[in-house]
Amino acid sequence: MPRRTALAATTLLIAGTLALASCSGGGSAPATTSAGEPDPDASLTVGLVLEPTNLDIRRTSGAALEQILIDNVYEGLVTRTQENEIVASLASAFEVSDDGLTYTFTLSDGVTFHDGTPLTVEDVVTSLTQVKDDPEIVGNTEFAGVASITAADDSTVVITLTEPNQNFLFTLTGPAGLVFKTGDTTDFQTAANGTGPFTLERWNQGDSIQLVRNDAYWAEPAGVAEVVLQYIPDFTAGVNAALDGSLDVLTAVQPDLSAQLDEASGFTLTTGQTTDKGTLAFNNAVAPLDDARVREALRLAIDHEALVEAIGSGQTQYGPIPELDPGYEDLSDVAPYDPERAMELLEEAGADDLELTLTIPSFYGTTVPQVLVSDFDEIGVTLEVESVEFATWLQDVYTNHDYELSFVLHVEPRDVGNFADPTYYFGYDNPEVQDLHAQAQVAVDPDESAELLAEAARIVSEDHAADWLYTGATITAVGDGVSGFPVDSVNSRIDLAGVTVSSE
Amino acid sequence: MIRYTLTRLALLVVGLLVASVLIFLSLRVLPGDVALLIAGTDSTPAQVAAIRERLGLGAPLPAQYLDWIGGLVRGDLGSSLVTGSSVAAELADKARITVPLGILALLIALAIAVPFGVLSAVRRRRPAGTALSVVAQALAAVPAVWAGMMLVVVFAVWLGVLPAQGFPRGGWSDPAAALRALILPALTIGIIEGAMLMRFVRSATLQAIGQDYVRTAAAKGLTRTQALLRHGLPNVALSVVTVLGLQVAGVLVGAVVIEQLFTLPGVGRMLVADVGARDLPKVQGELFVLTGFVLIVGFLVDLLHRALDPRQRETVA
Repeated sequence: MPRRTALAATTLLIAGTLALASCSGGGSAPATTSAGEPDPDASLTVGLVLEPTNLDIRRTSGAALEQILIDNVYEGLVTRTQENEIVASLASAFEVSDDGLTYTFTLSDGVTFHDGTPLTVEDVVTSLTQVKDDPEIVGNTEFAGVASITAADDSTVVITLTEPNQNFLFTLTGPAGLVFKTGDTTDFQTAANGTGPFTLERWNQGDSIQLVRNDAYWAEPAGVAEVVLQYIPDFTAGVNAALDGSLDVLTAVQPDLSAQLDEASGFTLTTGQTTDKGTLAFNNAVAPLDDARVREALRLAIDHEALVEAIGSGQTQYGPIPELDPGYEDLSDVAPYDPERAMELLEEAGADDLELTLTIPSFYGTTVPQVLVSDFDEIGVTLEVESVEFATWLQDVYTNHDYELSFVLHVEPRDVGNFADPTYYFGYDNPEVQDLHAQAQVAVDPDESAELLAEAARIVSEDHAADWLYTGATITAVGDGVSGFPVDSVNSRIDLAGVTVSSE
Repeated sequence: MIRYTLTRLALLVVGLLVASVLIFLSLRVLPGDVALLIAGTDSTPAQVAAIRERLGLGAPLPAQYLDWIGGLVRGDLGSSLVTGSSVAAELADKARITVPLGILALLIALAIAVPFGVLSAVRRRRPAGTALSVVAQALAAVPAVWAGMMLVVVFAVWLGVLPAQGFPRGGWSDPAAALRALILPALTIGIIEGAMLMRFVRSATLQAIGQDYVRTAAAKGLTRTQALLRHGLPNVALSVVTVLGLQVAGVLVGAVVIEQLFTLPGVGRMLVADVGARDLPKVQGELFVLTGFVLIVGFLVDLLHRALDPRQRETVA
């Protein structure tokens, strides 16, 4: 799920006022306690933007759920680090056979669910089998190649595949790999029962989620007694909450507001990498965008450096794979900024006086559309911007492919496969890419797989199947005395177990 | 009076029915649905179809409507498609913020409108009166979001005397803290609604000043102002009560915007989130309760008005 963008214009209007105000020492920021001892009884309040609509992580997609529940409340056999490395979690060890078909996991000892029930090997088998059998469960498609899930003994789970799948372990680090109690009667839409270092104490819908340390946790207990996840949809209100001392940490800080949260206000800003791809999709299936010259012209017309500058954070990305994912390479040579050449291409394609419509969910604000309108205007292309609700975008663009240009932030890691799916809303159908992607999936050697993906990515970019405006960065304001707060991929995972707050 | 009450009651019931149809239909023309949002951007059409099936989104519209109305008649507001929780319980929970916020905003509006409205009418030929009118015109046109932000900048950021946003997690267990959290949002709504109401009070007062009975009273030796206060104001109060019904609707609309801005977990913020999530059964329950509330307030105001105003009584046949 993309992140919300507030009324950028209004924000800008008062950002200056607030910046002036913060110089005059308003707000009671937390005291500097960097030298203090970690307080095991501390409560940590974290400001977030996007609240989940329900808590049923297996049946509801979206980063808002994964961000807070995975590793904190629910755990899988394996998980991933901030840098997207795969590491053991509920499994004490795991190994993959040489042919890439058999995955063997050894369960850790002494794991219990929050309701006190010990975790058994059956729970793991049942949970994973449900993903395979129930089309509604997130990850069902990725489990298509699973042949069997069995318990070899009381502490060993064996999964066999019909063919090697380079992404299978990675899938297990997501919602599909989480382990639930067999026959659990918990109402998963509003409550939770996992094995993680925090229990879900209370969800006050429309306001906050309260997590409490699980003292019976099977591994190292969490560093704070309580975490309050406070949802603040308005970016300016979020900054105000940080300034008035209501928050210890604010995530998803807008670059244009970040200046207010400096050291004087008791916060340190961290900037982390993400796999958020600001994707300017072209509908490859309709004229005039079915002409590669027109797509190339549009890409050459965009000054990506200036766009990243305008957004205030992130980096350029000239292909479908971001830096954190396997198969990344620098493809800036494919679409350098060249408006002259862009106009020649449009002339060659006989596309004079082009008028195109950009469909964009309203929470992305106005910066991106404004830059695109002016860049396209330079080469004589008129861009009409249609700002819609996300639900409308899902229907018109995602489902019905009824669009010309679209912008959304695709946050899912390792999703280059969307360009190998001709039915996806990009309308991009290239058998060579599909073949390379399929080979990369079944390659047993990760390096070989990454090379195949890189090859596919280059073709996708050379075909100008879409434009990747930027890779998003995530800015977090961390209050004095808070340490161990994650830096990277904060929008999709916040591992809270290692966070500590120093005593006053 | 009895015949009037019955007629007015029939009107209320018809109004509620029409409102229910309008709410139901207007929500059904929204593009996108809850199944798409649940499935997200890595889903297949088959997955979306399976979710639609489970949630019963495929049922024909008349059946869906009758099902909903049937529940309403039994006093059941239905439940959320997304969380399964009862709409009535959610509304009651969020009303603990929105109702006090609304009452506070109305009181602020009255506190601004009545004295200043009367004053600007009485002093209409002096600079002070003109200035008051101009200020009221300007304030009534201010966007709520902007007014709220300005108040935050002054009272929360500069002076640091009131919280900039949010509501205490303990709710009303600490009444003072809860009330403090509502002051700025209530002021934002109250100032804007008050400015609108003030113009109304002013014209009602001007009307009263011109009435014969006020002139008669003045002729009997009272000053103009005394005459107005003693004989004119009851009539002004009557007109204000009538408009208050409309103000309630204004306050509720204001609450939707303001709760978002101040991060208050009230009915307004819930409504915005539920529309975004396309949780239609929940949204239609919420909208129906809000509309019903406004209609019932209007009904009561009309009855009150008739009971208080001797000129509107029916002649006994």
